[in-house]
Amino acid sequence: MKHVEITLRVNGIKYAVDVKPQRTLVEVLRETLGLTGTKKSCNEGECGACTVLMDGKPVASCLALAIDAQGKEILTIEGLSEGENLHPIQEAFLKHGGIQCGFCTPGMVMSAKAFLDEHPKPTQTEVRQAISGNLCRCTGYQQIVDSIMAGSKMMKRES
Amino acid sequence: MEEYSVVGKSVERTDGRVKVAGKARYAGDLVASGMLHGKILRSPLAHAKILSIDTSRAKALPGVMAVITGKDFPGIPFGTRPDTRDQLPMPITKVHHFGEGVAAVAATDEDTAEEALDLIKVDYEELPAVLTAADALNPDAPLVNEFMKSNIAYSSNFLFGDVEKGFKEADHIREETFSSQRVTVGFIEPHACLAEVDPTGRILLQGSKQSPYITWRHMCRALDIPLSKMRIVNPFVGGAFSGKHDPFDVDFAAAKLAQITGRPVKIVLNYDEVLAAYRQRNAMDARLRIGVKRNGAITALKAECVLEGGPISGIGPFNIYYFGAFMNIPYKIPAIEYHGKLVYSNRAPCGTVRGQEIVLAQFALDSLLHMVSEDIGMDQVEIRSINAVTDKWRTANGMMVDVSGLRECIKRSAEKIGWKESRKGRPEGRGIGFSCASHPSGPRLGGHFGSSVMLKLVEDGKVVITHGGTEIGQGANTVFCQMAAEVLGLPFEDIIQGVSDSDTTIFDSGMFGDRCTYWDGNATIAAANDLKRQLAVIAAKELGANPEDLEFKNRRIFIKETPEKGIDFLLAVRRTYYERGEPLYGKGYWAATDIDIVDWKTGKGNLAHGLDFIATGIEVEVDKETGKVTLIKGVHGDDAGQPINPAMLEGQVNGGSAHMTGHALLEESLYDEKGLALNYTWRDYKQPTSMDVPEYTVEHVHTHDPYGPFGAKGAGEASSCSTLAAIANGVYDAVGVRIKDLPITPEKILKALAEKERK
Amino acid sequence: MFIKRLPGFEHHAATSIPGALDLLARYAEKAEVYAGGTDLLVAMKKREKIPEHLIDLKGIAEMRGIHSDDQKGIHIGSLTTLAELEGSTVVKEKFGALWDAVHVMASPQIRTLGTIGGNLCGAVPSADTAPPLIALGGSVKMVGPNGDRSVLVENFFKGPKESVLRKNEILKEVFIPNPAEFTSGSYIKLMRRNALDLALVGVAAYLRLDSNGKICKEARIALGAVAPTPIRVPQAEEVLTDRTIDITRAGEAGRVASQVCRPITDIRSTLGYRCSMVEVLTKRAVIEAHRRILSTR
Repeated sequence: MKHVEITLRVNGIKYAVDVKPQRTLVEVLRETLGLTGTKKSCNEGECGACTVLMDGKPVASCLALAIDAQGKEILTIEGLSEGENLHPIQEAFLKHGGIQCGFCTPGMVMSAKAFLDEHPKPTQTEVRQAISGNLCRCTGYQQIVDSIMAGSKMMKRES
Repeated sequence: MEEYSVVGKSVERTDGRVKVAGKARYAGDLVASGMLHGKILRSPLAHAKILSIDTSRAKALPGVMAVITGKDFPGIPFGTRPDTRDQLPMPITKVHHFGEGVAAVAATDEDTAEEALDLIKVDYEELPAVLTAADALNPDAPLVNEFMKSNIAYSSNFLFGDVEKGFKEADHIREETFSSQRVTVGFIEPHACLAEVDPTGRILLQGSKQSPYITWRHMCRALDIPLSKMRIVNPFVGGAFSGKHDPFDVDFAAAKLAQITGRPVKIVLNYDEVLAAYRQRNAMDARLRIGVKRNGAITALKAECVLEGGPISGIGPFNIYYFGAFMNIPYKIPAIEYHGKLVYSNRAPCGTVRGQEIVLAQFALDSLLHMVSEDIGMDQVEIRSINAVTDKWRTANGMMVDVSGLRECIKRSAEKIGWKESRKGRPEGRGIGFSCASHPSGPRLGGHFGSSVMLKLVEDGKVVITHGGTEIGQGANTVFCQMAAEVLGLPFEDIIQGVSDSDTTIFDSGMFGDRCTYWDGNATIAAANDLKRQLAVIAAKELGANPEDLEFKNRRIFIKETPEKGIDFLLAVRRTYYERGEPLYGKGYWAATDIDIVDWKTGKGNLAHGLDFIATGIEVEVDKETGKVTLIKGVHGDDAGQPINPAMLEGQVNGGSAHMTGHALLEESLYDEKGLALNYTWRDYKQPTSMDVPEYTVEHVHTHDPYGPFGAKGAGEASSCSTLAAIANGVYDAVGVRIKDLPITPEKILKALAEKERK
Repeated sequence: MFIKRLPGFEHHAATSIPGALDLLARYAEKAEVYAGGTDLLVAMKKREKIPEHLIDLKGIAEMRGIHSDDQKGIHIGSLTTLAELEGSTVVKEKFGALWDAVHVMASPQIRTLGTIGGNLCGAVPSADTAPPLIALGGSVKMVGPNGDRSVLVENFFKGPKESVLRKNEILKEVFIPNPAEFTSGSYIKLMRRNALDLALVGVAAYLRLDSNGKICKEARIALGAVAPTPIRVPQAEEVLTDRTIDITRAGEAGRVASQVCRPITDIRSTLGYRCSMVEVLTKRAVIEAHRRILSTR
């Protein structure tokens, strides 16, 4: 099968890669670029573990062709922090028990970021709706909601 | 109540930063040089003879390095007990369930591996399938497991106290049947394993395993290699809930393919494979008969259950045992008769799930308690309070309840959920359901059962901890760091979590039964005290004091009576490293030898320490037109002794309750009449989303467990045990219909409402 | 049986409608068009569809965007994502039934990718955008080698996963006429759980009241997931026309609708439950549409 040359802009860095046209974004992120922070589980858009941001909006990267991610700003969990400096949302998750096994966390945090960037003063219900596409089995969602609510206040303080 | 510096504080998880930054590596994220990718071919039939498997075309595909089937393994079965060794790495003579792996391929890339699967030709001879417990018990039923002569995999018959007398004394007796459906475990990370074999034949296994010890023992047996020929290093695990104890074909195939090719092999499943073919909670049919006095006190209980568990017994015998033995808590029941059976079937293999069999037993018991309470006109909260076990209660089967905060738990959760007010009046369609539960902090099984911890002192004054527990998200790593820090008088950040490696760690017997905090916690304290003793000797010499008179706090070691006379912790470290040339280790283990080994035959004995108690109140709203149930609020009064990390403890309580909400209302693993799985996709298997669970509040009831580390008890599984009945009772309180077969669906509610209307 | 990695294909990015039609003509049955790909890619992973050529429509500028025409109505390019619809003030305020639908479809991360065109062309009986569009009198414009044609959404569906869109045509846009005075609509979706779920039953209702806000002059009721296609239920509409709307009347409309629908029993729900829910949801959708009209007076 013929490969195609594509350029992806991920976490502010431009990558030129050679891939089969059928490669999904999550596959290229994980397998070609070594960015394994984005997780793969159901591979059919039903769990949210593969959530990344494309031009600031949350997408199921298992259902986006890598080819179609060209020309977009892709943000993965790795792009949210710089070394030891975490994004306020990440700090909030740490402070409020929003992480247990951590597998849903990258997708959850990315959904939260996309949401809070557009809704800086959310209600609890709005937060639950924002993460309604991210499955978690460990936490029961309560502390994740608490973390995102706290994150919104921390972001407000920083801006 | 003692005031601690680190214990009892909601410190940040030790692995939190790594996870939240997306840098935690789970088994599927690992790579090794020259790694091959493995895929598994699965049976399209539920029960069939394997007549032949032709792998020649697959082997010939360029890029394919090896193809294996069950015949590539030594044919040695393994199992939880010596008399239940009924499981093979991969099937040889027949397939036992839809999706069972029959062959595996290792190739240079995933696409090739997938392509190779299509080239493997399997000839099956379909056999009639056994699906339900009734099917299995039918005298004409085909035998499911080729190692066993009956479809009854295990049975237990217990008798505690005088049941006949108990029922005679009762003023009111009621008997009901209950049933529960097949559900999947539901962790978010699918199974994955990376295996490598070195030229000496030693296997390095890095898989998403919950209990590496169990994996290790079973794998070495089935691969016919000595235990020392396998090394397990644990990556991060994305949730387990008892669905990842046993080794699976994923692990065996990765190891065997690595052995054959001499290259690392990684197998990562897609979640639909997990839903189709891996661990589920067994379906249950139960009949309970309870006797109570007019004042609400329970006088006797008779319980029968049949668990339908798939084609291997797995941990099933333990499930059967648990169901009966733990009927003895959380209520005072002077006499219990129990008969339990585990049967084989051709549905997905079962293990156990969060809360173990207590989840199902408590669903039945607390639903029934609600019913008799109404029969005798007694308040739901009051009847539970009357029967709640108390401090120093010895149960009918000989279990000792050291400390029970249950009455206080009941009081607090009733208050918090507004029980009294709700009895005066509540909106149409609204109700509150109660249930209590208790979960032990790790029973004592036979064989290796001690927990061990090692602390390594680093030259810069920090301490590296390695312990035998496995961090699966529950927070094990963090609480042990807290405990070590507390004993050594160091800040939490000075304790560093080491790698979980079987070469340097003695793994616990397994991460189940809520044992981790308790057993490894006590081992941590022992190890920390060991290290402390050695450092005290050095510091004592420095201070001209007796080691027993010294205290460790705030990175200092000082004389208790005269605190200003002390040295820095770091000085003692440097003395031993640089002047004595003696690096220090703290070694500790803990094994509760004062409790009884599980007596499988009678169910009697003091089975465990650290009974964790919970009283759960859930407010529900039922839409009488659609039958839909909405959970409004959940309150859990929880006695976990001394909470080591309150935030993490709450996470456990919330999580267990949300998990069982799925079981109560939304989830069911469906099969057709031939045993083929129907909804093995998250599109059709409905786990709760953030919109399906209520806001939870946890009321901590502080007690002090005499045997627990810092007085703590395990807290991971109680809320899973109390939620099913709380929801069922809440639905009844809301609209007056009693659903006894899970899941509680809108269809069942509407049907019951219509019937009620007719009467 | 189990999901696999995508099969191989040749990828083509169309930048204009003629370009896309050209590609379709060239590759015919070996090609599939896509935009968000949230349905197609899953079907391909399951090997239900194995196209050798994929034609990406996302680059066709004239199929993007929501354009309001004060005279006539709103033109929604078929490439408009569900998220864009959800974020559109004009959709929320003037075409509330459609907004109700997109708000509860799939998940945020699917709504970013999925398009209204894709939802309609997928033609599953439970497609959430269909009942609202039918109730609002929406139509679709299709373009083919012989020019374009328009069809009411209520006449767009032929059977499960089958529409009148020919293999050599592309769905260009959706058109909804501007709402008249004293009108409103609503869509209610019944799901097993509260998010990330398909409709067990979906009901859209549209009402036009007289200038006194008392008599219903026109009603449109559309059902999803309870027949081989989304359907309009004129028999239920008759119950409401030229009558005052109250809970009894709405209930009667529901009863009639529940007798007309033809759902199936599958792993998601039973025929009986779905019929009962058609009755309940129709009543509720009618009452909600009515309430919305009155609240804006």
